[in-house]
Amino acid sequence: MPLSALSTIALTNVSQSFSHHGHQVRLFQQLSLRIEQGRSYAITGPSGSGKSSLLMLMAGLEQPSAGQVAYLQHGRSMALTQLRHDIGFVFQQFHLLPELTALHNVALPLKLRGEKNAEATASAWLEKVGLGHRLNHKPQQLSGGEQQRAAIARALVFQPKFIFADEPTGNLDSKSAADVADLLFDCCRQHGAALVIVTHSPPLAARAQQVLAFNNGNCALLATPQLEVQDACY
Amino acid sequence: MRATEQLRQNLQLACHFYQQQKRHSKERVLRWVQGILLLFIVTLSQTSASIQIYLGQNLANLLGADLVLSQPRALTASQYAELASMAEQIVLTESLTTTLTHNNQWQRATLKAVAEDYPLQGELRSAAFPGGPDSAGSQGPAVGEIWLDSRLLAALGLQIGEQLRIGGQQLNVTRILLHEPDRLMEGHNVEMRALLHRQDLQQFAALDDIIQHRYLVGANAQQIAAIRQWQKTHLPAAQLHHKHGAHPLALFWQRTENFIGLASILLFFMAAIAMQQLSRAQLAQQQFFSAVCLSLGASKQRVLQISLLKWLFGLLLLLPPVLLLSALCHWLALQWLKAHVFAGQELTGSFATLIWQPDIALAAKAVFASAVIFFVFNLPLWLALWQCSVRELIQQQQRSISNAVLFGCALLVLGGVAAHYSDNGLLTAMLLGSMLISIVLLLVLSWLALSLGEKLSQPFSGLLPFALYMMKQRLLSKTTQILGIGLAAFLLLFTLMLLKDLGDNMAAHQRAHDGNLLVTQASAAQMADIQVWAAQHNITIRQHKPFIYAQLSHINGGLLSEVIQKPSDSLASFNRPVRLHWSADMPGNNRLVNGQWWHSTTDNWQQLSVEQEVMTDLGLQLGDKLGLMIAGHYIEFSITASHAYQSGAGAITFWLQMPPAALIHISAPHYSMASLELQPQQFSLLPKLWQQHPSLRMVSLQELTQRFDSSLAMATRLISGFAGLIMLLAGIVMLSSVHAVEAKEQKKNSIILSFGLSKRTCLQLNMIEWLVTGAIAACGAIVATWLAGLLIYQSQFSLTYQPDLSWLLGTLAVIITLVTALGMALSKHSLSGSVRQLLAE
Ligand SMILES: Nc1ncnc2c1ncn2[C@@H]1O[C@H](COP(=O)(O)OP(=O)(O)O)[C@@H](O)[C@H]1O
Ligand SMILES: [Mg+2]
Repeated sequence: MPLSALSTIALTNVSQSFSHHGHQVRLFQQLSLRIEQGRSYAITGPSGSGKSSLLMLMAGLEQPSAGQVAYLQHGRSMALTQLRHDIGFVFQQFHLLPELTALHNVALPLKLRGEKNAEATASAWLEKVGLGHRLNHKPQQLSGGEQQRAAIARALVFQPKFIFADEPTGNLDSKSAADVADLLFDCCRQHGAALVIVTHSPPLAARAQQVLAFNNGNCALLATPQLEVQDACY
Repeated sequence: MRATEQLRQNLQLACHFYQQQKRHSKERVLRWVQGILLLFIVTLSQTSASIQIYLGQNLANLLGADLVLSQPRALTASQYAELASMAEQIVLTESLTTTLTHNNQWQRATLKAVAEDYPLQGELRSAAFPGGPDSAGSQGPAVGEIWLDSRLLAALGLQIGEQLRIGGQQLNVTRILLHEPDRLMEGHNVEMRALLHRQDLQQFAALDDIIQHRYLVGANAQQIAAIRQWQKTHLPAAQLHHKHGAHPLALFWQRTENFIGLASILLFFMAAIAMQQLSRAQLAQQQFFSAVCLSLGASKQRVLQISLLKWLFGLLLLLPPVLLLSALCHWLALQWLKAHVFAGQELTGSFATLIWQPDIALAAKAVFASAVIFFVFNLPLWLALWQCSVRELIQQQQRSISNAVLFGCALLVLGGVAAHYSDNGLLTAMLLGSMLISIVLLLVLSWLALSLGEKLSQPFSGLLPFALYMMKQRLLSKTTQILGIGLAAFLLLFTLMLLKDLGDNMAAHQRAHDGNLLVTQASAAQMADIQVWAAQHNITIRQHKPFIYAQLSHINGGLLSEVIQKPSDSLASFNRPVRLHWSADMPGNNRLVNGQWWHSTTDNWQQLSVEQEVMTDLGLQLGDKLGLMIAGHYIEFSITASHAYQSGAGAITFWLQMPPAALIHISAPHYSMASLELQPQQFSLLPKLWQQHPSLRMVSLQELTQRFDSSLAMATRLISGFAGLIMLLAGIVMLSSVHAVEAKEQKKNSIILSFGLSKRTCLQLNMIEWLVTGAIAACGAIVATWLAGLLIYQSQFSLTYQPDLSWLLGTLAVIITLVTALGMALSKHSLSGSVRQLLAE
């Protein structure tokens, strides 16, 4: 596919740091990378190294302390608010609304966008993730793996261009984790969405086309972390 | 030893736990709810106690005797002799309510006639001219003199030294009357007063049974006891007050306290809703704490003990500010009462005043009772804690509080409060009934609106269907929210509407059916003169109904004062003679409620029809026997029917009615009530009529509305204070209901943000939810108000209720706007969710 035909998130010389009770916490510095529609990325690294923060930057939900985040469509720069509409999230804790059935949870983003046939679309998606027989179950009645499948359906149902998954298998047993990972990669590929997945699991990370590894050599030095991002695939 | 050690540890833990949580907004709201209720109850009981103490002292000071016996007729010679044999001294005063006229001015006043032996005890104080120095004398006015109180003097435009004509007699106004030592208030009497000599009163030729004869008796303790015994058997219908007895106003105030207390059920109900919401909100946190404690090897008892102690801490720390504030409110209430209620009754002055003196023991009692109530409100939470286990930590699934338990606890408290304050069965039933109706209505309405709204909007997409859908999913918590707001609105609306409509209706009603002059008491001769006078001046007499005076003394053979202990409006009126009407057929403005009206030619004359509310208040049933003293004779009637007022055929109605056949057996002076329609310019004809007949009682519509307005103004002030409390609690109910779902709301908003939707969408959703909540609550409140209006207006005030549509619509808009604005402001916090929070969890 020609580069200019795709949507791309471009981070240039991005740094992120927070001041905590007077002293600075630096997460990463001078980071440049591109997230292109249709590709898959994995972010790895120890807890607290800034993976989720990076995700927030990519999604345009937080501002970097230095550098730029740009959203490009067909080579043209777009507003970051536009980016917000094109992103779906999958969380470690699933975050389905407990009072809604699986069907209604998945139909939620469509209904909010005022789309017709929300429920039919949602039910097709649930069918696709293998929950066609559990449409009317509440999250409590579903296993962790099933809840995460519903969450994946919910993230993809409005056809975003990017899926950000923050440790989507962190709360699952290995069998469910493998199933969920398969589903996530397959769905994103089928729908041409970029997948950015944060994970602690090396085999899972290895399935991505690109891996970004936060390398935090010394955990004891958290106050002034010297973080660097290696682009494993370049 | 180990037990105390453990208790100490628990105390420390609880204290620590409390300190940690006290800044939590939920705890803060809980403190507010408890604080407000405590404040209300403590202030009410303290104020009430002060008034009762005041009345007690007032009684001792204003009796002017050791014992006072009063009745409408003079004692017979033998009765007088018997009384005299038991007393050291007896002084007679006679009083008559009349209308005095001078130069076309008229003023209703109470004339008191005394002789040289007056006063028995205490000082009679008067002044030589208005504003002059007050001097104490031991003698009242001489024959041919009259002393007026300064208000009466001003009202009649009189000067000292001028002549006042009463019933063809000229009296010299010689002094200003400042204080009579025996001026015990009867009812809440604010009548203007005049004092004259007994000989002059005899010239009025007023009938004996409309003159109140009061015998001031000097007696020692044994004599008082003997006279009381004697009165029970010989003069059961007479009123007796003695130095150690209850003030006649005591019952009135007891009743006021009861009414306010009863109204406080509504406060309690709202508090119950707030606390229930808070319990839900607190549950997760408390359960988590308990589960952690349990997993660390603590016993369940211990966990519960800590939670209890923590609650107790909260309550104890609440006490100092609440007690201080309530002392302040108590003081303010007394100031207000002094200024508005007891003013103008010359009871303040140098005599026993309403003293601000907090009663510690009573405060402790009130606090304890409230603590018990809060304890019961908190029970469901503790019950849920008791059922909690370590499983909760593992499964991440919380046990919720059973609704049945919550409901049961609330019901228990409300029942208790109602039982404590209830004194008038009908009013209590109606108040609770209308509350129940509004609750059911609100429940049904919110269920219907949300279910139907959701069903109907399902095919559509967009924010409104979605909001309805989400609300439907949270039906339970939404319903409680709507219930709280709706009830608060209902209460406010009802009290406001009652005030407004009562005033409007009263005036309109009087004008519509009843002419503008009401004759409330005219003797046969006076009535005959009125008829002639009316014919002369072309004045229509709209209604004219005869009656005799009767004093209720016995119920089923027992003395009234012994049979009926609970205060009520009816009882207060029955302490004085009431009007007894006779009629062959059911009067046009009455309807039969129970029993059977007599045949018009019946010979069985000893039967009565009693007004329905009186039946309820006094706990009477068909077949009960009422003993009446009529013109000095004791006659027993049995109740064969009960009637109620219905509008349309005039406003003059009677509590007691008997068949005309009874008249042959009763010899008592006949009086009339009548209503007349005067042209405005004809009011100037009244003074002459009054001059001829000083004992004739008439009230003009204007006077009536004036009197009504002043009591309405007082009620308005009281009620607006109460409405303030209700509003405050309504705000707290909203706050607590927002808190109850805050975590959920925040999560929902975060998830919506994660779909790429903006904060504005969340805000809009929130606004729609509040609009729907406000609309349902307001509709429920308005319909409930309307129903309650129908119910209470008709039976309590005999008014036909006509709601004002534009007024109702206006309120609807106001409520919705207020609820939405307040709701949005309160849920600011739950709108602050972000995707980051979802990632962090
Ligand atoms: N808004 C913020 N203010 C202060 N510190 C923050 C903020 N956001 C993240 N952090 C800090 O940055 C660090 C990295 O967080 P996060 O990106 O969640 O790490 P990871 O997802 O890799 O575990 C944490 O120590 C966190 O406390
Ligand atoms: Mg993280």
